[in-house]
Amino acid sequence: MIYTLLQHQWKSFWRSRSAGRNVAMQIIIGFFVLYLSGVAIFLGFSLDKILSEVSHGHEVIPVFLGLILYYFSFDIIMRFIMQDLPTLAVLPYLTQNIRRNKLVRFLNVRSLFSIFIFLPLFIFLPFIISVIGGKYGSMISLVMVISIFSLAFFNHFLVLFIKRKTILSQWWLIGFFLAIILVILADYFQIFSLRNWSVSLFTFVIKVPTFCIVFLSMAIASWYNNSGFLRNNFYLENLEKSSGEKKSADYNWLQRFGTYGDLMAIDIKLILRNKRPRTLLLLSAIFLFYGFLFFKPEFVDKNRFGQLLLGSFIVTSMFMISYGQFVFAWQSLHFDGLMAGNNQIKTYIKSKLFLLIIFSTISFLLSLLYGFISWKLIPILIATWLFNIGIHAVLTCFIGTRSYKGIDLSKGATFNYQGIGAAQWLYSLIILVIGVAIYLPFVLLINAWSGIAALGILGLICFIMQDWWLDKIVIQFQKNKYKMLEGFREK
Amino acid sequence: MITINNLLKTYSRKIAVDIAQLEIRNGIIGLVGNNGAGKTTLFRLILDLVKPDRGEVLSNEKDISKNEDWKNYTASYIDEGFLIPYLTPEEYFYFVGKLHNRTRANVDEMLSGLTAFFDGYVLKSGKYIRDLSKGNQFKVGIAACLIQDPDIMILDEPFANLDPSSQIRLIQMVRELNKKKPMIILISSHDLNHITEVCTRILLMEKGLIIKDFQTSSDTLTELEDYFRV
Repeated sequence: MIYTLLQHQWKSFWRSRSAGRNVAMQIIIGFFVLYLSGVAIFLGFSLDKILSEVSHGHEVIPVFLGLILYYFSFDIIMRFIMQDLPTLAVLPYLTQNIRRNKLVRFLNVRSLFSIFIFLPLFIFLPFIISVIGGKYGSMISLVMVISIFSLAFFNHFLVLFIKRKTILSQWWLIGFFLAIILVILADYFQIFSLRNWSVSLFTFVIKVPTFCIVFLSMAIASWYNNSGFLRNNFYLENLEKSSGEKKSADYNWLQRFGTYGDLMAIDIKLILRNKRPRTLLLLSAIFLFYGFLFFKPEFVDKNRFGQLLLGSFIVTSMFMISYGQFVFAWQSLHFDGLMAGNNQIKTYIKSKLFLLIIFSTISFLLSLLYGFISWKLIPILIATWLFNIGIHAVLTCFIGTRSYKGIDLSKGATFNYQGIGAAQWLYSLIILVIGVAIYLPFVLLINAWSGIAALGILGLICFIMQDWWLDKIVIQFQKNKYKMLEGFREK
Repeated sequence: MITINNLLKTYSRKIAVDIAQLEIRNGIIGLVGNNGAGKTTLFRLILDLVKPDRGEVLSNEKDISKNEDWKNYTASYIDEGFLIPYLTPEEYFYFVGKLHNRTRANVDEMLSGLTAFFDGYVLKSGKYIRDLSKGNQFKVGIAACLIQDPDIMILDEPFANLDPSSQIRLIQMVRELNKKKPMIILISSHDLNHITEVCTRILLMEKGLIIKDFQTSSDTLTELEDYFRV
């Protein structure tokens, strides 16, 4: 039975309308997986050396044990972003004579064909066998392998479970992200140390090997939890969407902008009421915390302006980028109606510009909190913000007129390449390159502060010239409009 | 008035629409033809949604691709691509009304005239447009056209997706509209009975060409049936 189901999946992959693109994508993902495994294996075999360098002659094993929980908390985030929910178009099978349990098991087993299950083994196995096995004997290293494999298994089904829950209720997604952010913050401000926990936990495992049964039962429990959840939710309406009364909403504060406001209200509803943009929004909220990676005290003290600028760019513009990459394509499903409706193209584009500016301003205001780390960050953040509202926003609309691929709003965001063409891959690159092109000459000729000032001043000038740019975008838009319409109509 | 001059649109060398000269004046105009005859493409050309290979479409003597004034008085519904799926019907109506400077009270008043047409399924349904059935989505599209109080209204196969009572109501509404003020109502359909019943002029399309153009009379239905019997 499971073999037949696998066969159907195989056929649906090859016979799908976008088979060509799928295969190309799979090949790229395949290379990525190979590369990742290569890196992991290399890391695994040299972990011994790396750790002994880091530990400065102290014992290596505690350092290693301290890593494990870090790895698995990182693993949860990575899985959450990258791991696909195994979807079997389950609809046609529900009414056939197939036991529900079998379908559930199929979905679970299928999901295991994933690189994430093997990565921890690649990374940890060599060290466990050579160093831990060398010191404590093969019995203990077997216990460690079982513990690590169980943890990977546990994470795997935990993430699947949470992801499925988020489909039914948005609160799970918000809760999950809040939990992660709290852990990151607590670790950053040393309220507790994941490292110390990890060391004491696994030292205990080495002392009392039978404790690994706890990990093993956690893994089994998470498998059954996931299966049980799937079994109970194997109904059409649960698989499709959550029901519930839908209410109309007004955004009175947007009313004062007139028609722009109405168009922006539509865009905001688009983001809040559709799965893909909503997920992107939450993901980019995580990027707001990337500042903690880039604005480290040592970078600030040593005036590493490259890092600081890049960090400030990511923090202030991630939301703009994730929304802006499909600035017009988001509305592909009803683009016909928008173009035939009673709104002038100039008004329409201006509403998009407004919205992009509002987005980047919100991220900017939030990111100002980083000013508590050092005053130096504030001028840098201001400069990148001006760059965003002046240059980035305009470029986004320009590049948007060159994107002819539509988007299905109801699909999830991760590993979803629908609507992505060369223009999207290039988009963030172009903007970064332009930013660097403005900044770099000043750094080389004068100093970093002048480069930062140049970014800000040029951004401000472009912002003041916005109406002039707008006319240029409208001309471009008119020219490409028919191609966009045609592309968006294809499904 | 819509004027079409020398209009040609091809898709990979196949002619989709090829019209040398056509004038459309006030009245209810029906467009018939088999699948692939070019009806929808012609509508899209008139709405500036498709770029013609050559030729032009004038609306009140202005080229629609160079001037956006036609949007003020043209309402259209071709398919779900005209609706905004993640809005509630009410939100969508208010949005469209606002674009035509109608107040909410205006829109509400217009909608109250449509209660029978909606049959209790569209307003206050607690659903987004994407969750409505296809027929009800169509009703939303048609109602959105009516709210605009247009001079030109374009509907693509409105009868195909409506239930029988709504079809009859739509015919009544279209007739009343046409009586109330002079306007162009362009309708395409496969339903020969309905189209001959409601239209004053009928255009018959075949492979992109308009092969017949006649005022409706008592023989129109038999004439059309003879053509399609082949």
